[in-house]
Amino acid sequence: MVNPVLLIAVPLGLAFAIPLFALFWKDAAKYIPPAALGFNLVVSLLLLPKVLENPVIVSISGWRPPFCINLVAGPVGVLFSAIIALIGLLVSIYALDYIREGATERYHILYLLLLTGATGVVLTGDIFNLFVFFEILCISSYALVAYTADKAGFESAIKYLIQGAVGSSLLLIGIGLLYGLFGTLNMADIAQNIKSVSPISVFVPMALIVTGLGVEAAIFPLNAWLPDAHSSAPSSISAILSGIAIEVGLYAVARVIFTIFGAQSILPFLAFLGILTLLVGEMCAFSQNNIKRMLAYSSIGQIGLILFALAIATSYGVTGGLFQLISHTLAKALLFLAVGYMIYRAGSLEISALEGMGKKMPLTCLAFAIGAFSLVGLPPFIGFPSKFLVVRAALATKETIFIVLIGLALLGTVIEGAYFFRVVQVLYFKGEKPNPPKKDAPVVALVPMFIFVVLIVIIGIYPKLVTDVLNSAASELLNRLDYIRSVLG
Amino acid sequence: MRRAISIFLLIIVTVGISMSLAKIPFGVPKTKVGRHYINEGVKETGATNIVTSVVVSYRGFDTLGEVTVLFIAAIGLGAILSTVRNKTVKEIEPASLVLYTGCRLLFPLILIFGTYIFIHGHLTPGGGFQGGAIIASGFLLIYLGCRERRISRIASNLAESLGGLIFVVIGLLGLVFGGYFLLNFLPKGTANTLFSAGIIPIIYIAIGFKVGSELASIIDNLIEES
Amino acid sequence: MSFLHSYAYYIGAFGLIFIGLYVILTKHNLIKVIIGLGILDTGVNLFLISVGYITKGTAPIFSRPGIDSEDMVDPVPQALVLTAIVIGVAVLALALSLAIRLYQHYGTLNLRKIREQRW
Repeated sequence: MVNPVLLIAVPLGLAFAIPLFALFWKDAAKYIPPAALGFNLVVSLLLLPKVLENPVIVSISGWRPPFCINLVAGPVGVLFSAIIALIGLLVSIYALDYIREGATERYHILYLLLLTGATGVVLTGDIFNLFVFFEILCISSYALVAYTADKAGFESAIKYLIQGAVGSSLLLIGIGLLYGLFGTLNMADIAQNIKSVSPISVFVPMALIVTGLGVEAAIFPLNAWLPDAHSSAPSSISAILSGIAIEVGLYAVARVIFTIFGAQSILPFLAFLGILTLLVGEMCAFSQNNIKRMLAYSSIGQIGLILFALAIATSYGVTGGLFQLISHTLAKALLFLAVGYMIYRAGSLEISALEGMGKKMPLTCLAFAIGAFSLVGLPPFIGFPSKFLVVRAALATKETIFIVLIGLALLGTVIEGAYFFRVVQVLYFKGEKPNPPKKDAPVVALVPMFIFVVLIVIIGIYPKLVTDVLNSAASELLNRLDYIRSVLG
Repeated sequence: MRRAISIFLLIIVTVGISMSLAKIPFGVPKTKVGRHYINEGVKETGATNIVTSVVVSYRGFDTLGEVTVLFIAAIGLGAILSTVRNKTVKEIEPASLVLYTGCRLLFPLILIFGTYIFIHGHLTPGGGFQGGAIIASGFLLIYLGCRERRISRIASNLAESLGGLIFVVIGLLGLVFGGYFLLNFLPKGTANTLFSAGIIPIIYIAIGFKVGSELASIIDNLIEES
Repeated sequence: MSFLHSYAYYIGAFGLIFIGLYVILTKHNLIKVIIGLGILDTGVNLFLISVGYITKGTAPIFSRPGIDSEDMVDPVPQALVLTAIVIGVAVLALALSLAIRLYQHYGTLNLRKIREQRW
């Protein structure tokens, strides 16, 4: 059986080795991230059937937990690392042609390290280790947002950096308070002893940690950095940020609240915050003229919906939340990849400049349309079963607060449909010239987009392919006692 | 207005934190994990500096992450400052003879001191990061004193990559030989001597070179801007 | 008074955190905000170390064979702070390089004027 440490150690070693390879072979930097992420994908898929019943606990340096750092490769962790590896692999193939100018070797090193940090966050079982890998994720994204070296890029990067750094400091204060209260940094150990102190003294560390992680997870009102950052980054990085970074932040919030604190009392507040985020995101997206900013606000809206689904905290709710997370990742990454080349051909970021693209770049616009329909929640795409599961979970709780909130969520879906259909209309039904020259995106970019389309369609038609994995993942997140028992024995 | 709101928020945060802080008494031993490390540390890892054994062996994964963060900062800085538009070549006034000779005299002494600190990381206070910072300050002295000397880019890139790669490879060797990543697979020797504690001095030497060359290349990038 | 004396380190650490957050929230000059970030990092590190302090404790190094290990301070916060200092340095280095490029593009470091991205 493969050791899950390899999921982190091998990409890390290859990222350190990229400058050495680049001394001999000029183009090595482009091909190493796909190789490393392909390895990660294979290892994650090999591990996934084995961890569905019992998580694999890996201790680092050979000591017993809680005196060492341990990785917990359970269904949630391996599922997330498979998703990260898949999305990362497809976007790195897209970037083989998309990233042409600037310091390309450094782009690929930072890209691989961002994904390694994300994999580390989802696999770790120690809260300070979570902080370190979270910092790896955040700092590489600060540097990558500024990659395009224009005014917008630098301004967005500095604002993202300042807000992210303040969030990380708050997270560190929370970790320090937890260490002072419990004397250990292992997540299972803290979870075991959480009842030994009064709830009021645990409230402040929990608030600080959730606020610190919430800056990266883009929960309202901490998400002021997101529209600027996601719209000024190069499109492949926007795909990774919207598709992976904020989801991993939301995973960290869920892990802290469900497993470490077991806090049932804060969940209604989080559900309310989720719907607030959803409404703010969708309403701001509706009034945008810049297509990447519109997609960024749509990401905020979808994160609100996922947070609401996770805060329902029943088995249906968490399964629905994880399914919605996968569907958002696939659809949003596809949308950003398609938009990347459309902007490049049109020369501007305005929606009105994309008139008639449906005839000039038929395959790319078809991919965009499929991604948009999936995000809104139309069958037969993956968005439909995921949203259906979330609505059913909310209705099954039979509490008025959740029913009211899910009604507001459906209102948000209607607004989402409105602005996406407006863009599809501009792409296909406007434009003067009858037969413009067709110049589609290069093959290297079309192949990943169509793998995304195939996945969206297949999982949309047969959701049973993923629901077993999602059910075990949901039960791992919700059952604290099983988690504690499997780590500490 | 903005000041009033921020002061109000900060007072709420501080009051909340101090309520929680009242449960953490100052100056009283409170942790079981720390006590275990102090009692068993020398026997299990062979290093007499318990902080080193915690940093490299018990929590070695965090150190790997930290080394990666510094690498990301150096690469990101190089990426951001690499595409500068108009580089005007300015006249650099040469330093006086006393300053120039003094810096050249001090530079090898500073390097030796930094090397001493990271080689003896498992015996005395210090270690890879501290030694690396001292080495970088030696390079900073050369930049400030003898103004037209520059370090070789290729050598510093090579040192950075090799340092990180050696750390990961030692971890993987631990996986091959013992089944655990970063296992201490070399003999531990007798405590309080230079050749003890297994892989800990080797990792610290790799980290020392890596951090020294990284901080020196950060300084080099920033000085070339001005 | 003994309350102040025994909690002096905590009060100092939180004073630094308070000052750092205040500077970040209210100042307009980018360099001042970055300095505030540095002060915030210093305050957090001081807080982490003072969690592990034991009164009249010594460094956890077994320099002589027969040394008494009863009053050694906790080594774990020191390891945490090593990592946190390095991460703080990395963030500051990136922030300063962004400040250099922003000055080249905008000609000013006033955060009120660096606001091209609207709504």
